[in-house]
Amino acid sequence: MNEQRRQVLEMLAEGKVTADEAERLIEALQRQQPEAPPGRSSRTKARPKYLRVVMDAADGTGGDGASRMNVRIPLQLLRAGVRLTALLPPVAITKVNAELDKAGVPIDLAELKPQHLDDLIEHLDDVIIDLDDPGSRMQVYCE
Amino acid sequence: MIPQLVTVRVRRSNGRRIRLYIPVVPVVLVLSPLLLLAVLGGCIACLILHISPAGALRGVARVLWALPGTRFEMEQGRAAVLVSVG
Repeated sequence: MNEQRRQVLEMLAEGKVTADEAERLIEALQRQQPEAPPGRSSRTKARPKYLRVVMDAADGTGGDGASRMNVRIPLQLLRAGVRLTALLPPVAITKVNAELDKAGVPIDLAELKPQHLDDLIEHLDDVIIDLDDPGSRMQVYCE
Repeated sequence: MIPQLVTVRVRRSNGRRIRLYIPVVPVVLVLSPLLLLAVLGGCIACLILHISPAGALRGVARVLWALPGTRFEMEQGRAAVLVSVG
């Protein structure tokens, strides 16, 4: 139940509106709602499943020939991986925090909740990194 | 779905090729006694580190379940490595 519908029902319970008025309000809310879901459903339909990293580099100074890397990682695997961070013992988090602080990165890992990391991965869908160099090319995108 | 087949292909710089197709389920069945010991060891480690063993098992299972579709391919000159989880 969405928040607006709940508010209408509360107003009805408090006697601020009649049953007819509440019905009309709910109908009006229902008319508004169908506009949002189609956009969301088309977005979920095309939701990417993999994070792709592709790198092509021409022959470097080593003379080993051209290098090529192609990595495909399921986004689900990233989600599962970040959830593992919730299992870090408090002792380890304290140590990591101290080392990060020492390295000049004052991040408190205890503040990093799995929900935040989940949100981060959710929004990876829109990430496209395209690096072009005279001798190499790197692309990071979701597909 | 758990991984079914892991494919490993290696091409050495001298042109020699190695291809390995590893069926995960039979290998896990064969290694199940060792895996059981590893799980027990992991649970004891979790208890020592004050981590919920059930949570840890769930996390590892989630990672395993998410592995299918992973592909890692690298080429350097004539040498190449491919690891694919299907």
